[in-house]
Amino acid sequence: MSALEIRNVRKNYGSVETLKGIDIALQSGEFLVLLGSSGCGKSTLLNIIAGLAEATSGDVLIGGRSILGVHPKNRDIAMVFQSYALYPNLTVRRNIGFGLEMRGVAADDREKAVNEAARLLQIEALLDRKPSQLSGGQRQRVAIGRALVRKPQVFLFDEPLSNLDAKLRLEMRTELKRLHQMLQTTVVYVTHDQIEAMTLATRIAVMRDGIIEQLGTPEEIYNEPATLYVAGFVGAPSMNMLQSTVEGGTLAIDGSPARLPLPARFSKAIGNGARVVVGIRPEALRVAAGAAEPSLPVEIEVVELTGPELVATARVGTQRLTACLPPAARVSKGQASIFAFGEDAMRLFDPDTGKAF
Amino acid sequence: MSGTWMTTRAWLLMLPLLVVMVAVIGWPLVDTVNLSFTDAKLVGTGGNYVGFDNYTNMLSSSNFSRTLITTTLFAVISVAAEMVIGVLAALLLNQQFHGRAVLRALMILPWALPTVVNATLWRLIYNPEYGALNAALTQLHLIDAYRSWLGEPGTALAALIVADCWKNFPLVALIALAALQAVPRDITAASLVDGAGAFNRFRFVILPYLAGPLMVALVLRTIEAFKVFDIIWVMTRGGPANSTRTLSILVYQEAFSFQRAGSGASLALIVTLLVTVLAVAYAALVRKTAGSAA
Repeated sequence: MSALEIRNVRKNYGSVETLKGIDIALQSGEFLVLLGSSGCGKSTLLNIIAGLAEATSGDVLIGGRSILGVHPKNRDIAMVFQSYALYPNLTVRRNIGFGLEMRGVAADDREKAVNEAARLLQIEALLDRKPSQLSGGQRQRVAIGRALVRKPQVFLFDEPLSNLDAKLRLEMRTELKRLHQMLQTTVVYVTHDQIEAMTLATRIAVMRDGIIEQLGTPEEIYNEPATLYVAGFVGAPSMNMLQSTVEGGTLAIDGSPARLPLPARFSKAIGNGARVVVGIRPEALRVAAGAAEPSLPVEIEVVELTGPELVATARVGTQRLTACLPPAARVSKGQASIFAFGEDAMRLFDPDTGKAF
Repeated sequence: MSGTWMTTRAWLLMLPLLVVMVAVIGWPLVDTVNLSFTDAKLVGTGGNYVGFDNYTNMLSSSNFSRTLITTTLFAVISVAAEMVIGVLAALLLNQQFHGRAVLRALMILPWALPTVVNATLWRLIYNPEYGALNAALTQLHLIDAYRSWLGEPGTALAALIVADCWKNFPLVALIALAALQAVPRDITAASLVDGAGAFNRFRFVILPYLAGPLMVALVLRTIEAFKVFDIIWVMTRGGPANSTRTLSILVYQEAFSFQRAGSGASLALIVTLLVTVLAVAYAALVRKTAGSAA
């Protein structure tokens, strides 16, 4: 039995269909990240699971029980919000214990649970402060503590790190990962940050315009993107997309004399003359001495040293591509070079449907 | 630019306003203080200096103590009711429903109407011969015969309080409604997930955001209610048997009806002092509320 099951959930706001039939089944202990840009429907889906919005149709089950129409407090969920949503006039202690207090849990048990959560989150010294006396990171820890003490079946996180600065975001991300590994709880986490998604998730659902573009492990999403959208959305810098045409068993790159071999695994699916988008991750590219492997002759346009790597933007005829090279790579602006890559690194997409071959 | 020049310029800019204030507030106040130490009549010459006689006479008179009690009753009950009804109305008007905008606009109406119009309207409602209240209560079999709500000492003050509430609760509702817009949606959602019922949600989530603005409304309304004159003057003129006579009515009667300008001036100053004490106490409360909310 799934810990959380979303069955064909649809949501309409007037004539606008925000969710167009979402199906997800989550096993206990899974960390699902709903990833997508603003307006893709990820927060709406989270709110439907939480009971803060109603689905137009479909069903949501927690522990095999349908929870549609059930009050949020009775859904056995806890939620952490982007804005922390702490009660400003209550101390940290009462904020964390608020859910238990409202459920009539005895003061002693409440105190024990609050202290345990505070210990886990290392905020014991803050228990008697008010939220206004805390930093952003401390507030988010309190918000997480408030969810933890409830020990629900499913934790919901709505972009919980978005209001934090970059350094704190990184720390809290690791903290969340540590907590999940320790507690093995079921989590649904909404974010538009693909790094958060890749690092935290056991599975990622990439959403776009109310549908799931791809649902898979972070490795699947990164290495085998199902659509051009997923390929472009996940990864920074994003995947290189080269327009090409299949000509006599090779891929002729548009606007360039360059040709790439059509990998054997695609030869049955793609006929001669077909238009194809070739996707290659920037990390898969390297500077080659000769043209033995699949490679592309390029002219370097811009070189940016980020510290751990050298990001080179280059031109292949009229098209551009980016390569993440070692800092010591010998490339400079205006230089002609050859970028090589393994055949396995090539992903081919149908430009009309956007789907991977 | 030097600080001295800035200070001089600030005083220069304020000067016209200060002159006007001295002319319309300062001078009459000084004149009233002078008058309060005399036995001057409303018409005629200045009167003789009588020291603190006007004050001691007034403070020891049963008229004053009865009127002070009536005023306090009127202020406390009407302001408390306005606060409760105003907040409840704001909570209702903050819900999502069709026609909300129309209802919000209609709610302002009693407050926007001139007090005289309001008072006349309520006189008609309370009319002992053809008033709507008598008709409604009779038809509901709650009373057997028409009553003179404003003509009986036992009901007149309550009837006035109802009329005053009806006029002034929209102000409280409006302030509360504006404050409700500042309650973050996420906090309300968090309290729902945490299992807070309607009362606890109001107590722990909404009230902290309402406290500051409501305190301002409380200050304004209490001071206004304490010096109420117009609605009472139009509806009962302080009667029957002085049962609705408030301090402002007493000042008016003393100074203009009985033409005792000196005595009236002393009473006016006592009322001013009481209102000032109230204002200072409330201002301290507002500062404290604002401080604890920060």
